[in-house]
Amino acid sequence: MTDARPTPEDEVVKHFREHATSEPPAHLDSLILGVAHREAPAPKPNFWQRWVQVCQKPRWQVAFASLVGVALMLALVQRTPEQAPGYDVVPAPKASAPVVKKEASRALAAPAAPMADVAAPAQSESINAERAEEAKVAKRAAAPAITLDEQLHEVVRLQNAGQAQAADTLMKALHKRFPDENVEARLNEMPRN
Amino acid sequence: MSAPEPGDEALLARYRSGDGPAFEILYARHRLGLYRFLLGLSGKPELAEEVYQDTWLSLIRSTSQPQGRANFRTWLFQIARNRLIDHWRKHGIHNPLHDSYDEQAHAVIDEATDPEQLLSLSRDSQRLETALKDLPADQREVFLLRVHGDLDLAQIATLTGAPLETIKSRLRYAQQKLRRMLAEEVLT
Repeated sequence: MTDARPTPEDEVVKHFREHATSEPPAHLDSLILGVAHREAPAPKPNFWQRWVQVCQKPRWQVAFASLVGVALMLALVQRTPEQAPGYDVVPAPKASAPVVKKEASRALAAPAAPMADVAAPAQSESINAERAEEAKVAKRAAAPAITLDEQLHEVVRLQNAGQAQAADTLMKALHKRFPDENVEARLNEMPRN
Repeated sequence: MSAPEPGDEALLARYRSGDGPAFEILYARHRLGLYRFLLGLSGKPELAEEVYQDTWLSLIRSTSQPQGRANFRTWLFQIARNRLIDHWRKHGIHNPLHDSYDEQAHAVIDEATDPEQLLSLSRDSQRLETALKDLPADQREVFLLRVHGDLDLAQIATLTGAPLETIKSRLRYAQQKLRRMLAEEVLT
């Protein structure tokens, strides 16, 4: 355990501390504090303040504008309307001729102004949807809408109704439409009332 | 319960990051000690004021911080001491701190070891000042750093670049001489 009593040497130090009276002149205090206040470093800006400052510099403005421009161009390129899938290869049946003509006229008109579609992407999207729907209709029209059996049922119905001439006309049409089928034989196989 | 006062290093860092009032606290803490150290070491008020001002202005304009194990107080007194030595060198004045004083050769047996006699130490500031001036410069420096810088012996050794044992003996001799000189003044 150490002796906590102050030594004579410690008393001398304490004595000098207690009786020191000199002070720096007031004009020095005000000069030093004035300089310190005047030359204090500017407070460091936080993250958002630094971000705004960076954005205010011309060279960064140009860089950001270029970046935004490139991004816009990429976005527009991504949104360019796609060609209607399989649109041109859909066989055009005679029954759907008006639809096909209408489709063809649109198909001719639409590619003539691709930039118009780019300028109005929303409109372009609606046109695309409409075209897709019409393509489905065209496909349905291209396929044999009414089967041979159904037609033969109609022939039987006409015959039963005594409309022999109409039944003959329909049979001739069926011969032409289904040249590979033995229409007469199929008619005979049809159930009759 | 009040928050603990910020340390000197924290205040300096706050000032460096734009907190002006932090410097005022720092200045208020150290203005008296630094000035009294310089006045006691140089012995000339004009020179002490000049070095005092240079020291604070260099601290304001610098971006450096206390290095290594040095705290702010040691760092501040180191700057002031270096400035004073630079001034002596610039004006062709012999640096008294370079004088190697042989304490053994000048040792006087201290007979005034009665603690009660300490109560009669002179309180006259002029006599205190004179007694200080009578000390060898290297002892005076160590004593002033202890009294006004409130530095411990290891910090004084780091600041002056002298071995710790040398600092201990310088301080011991300085205190003994001062006590004897001031006591004698009262007794006569």
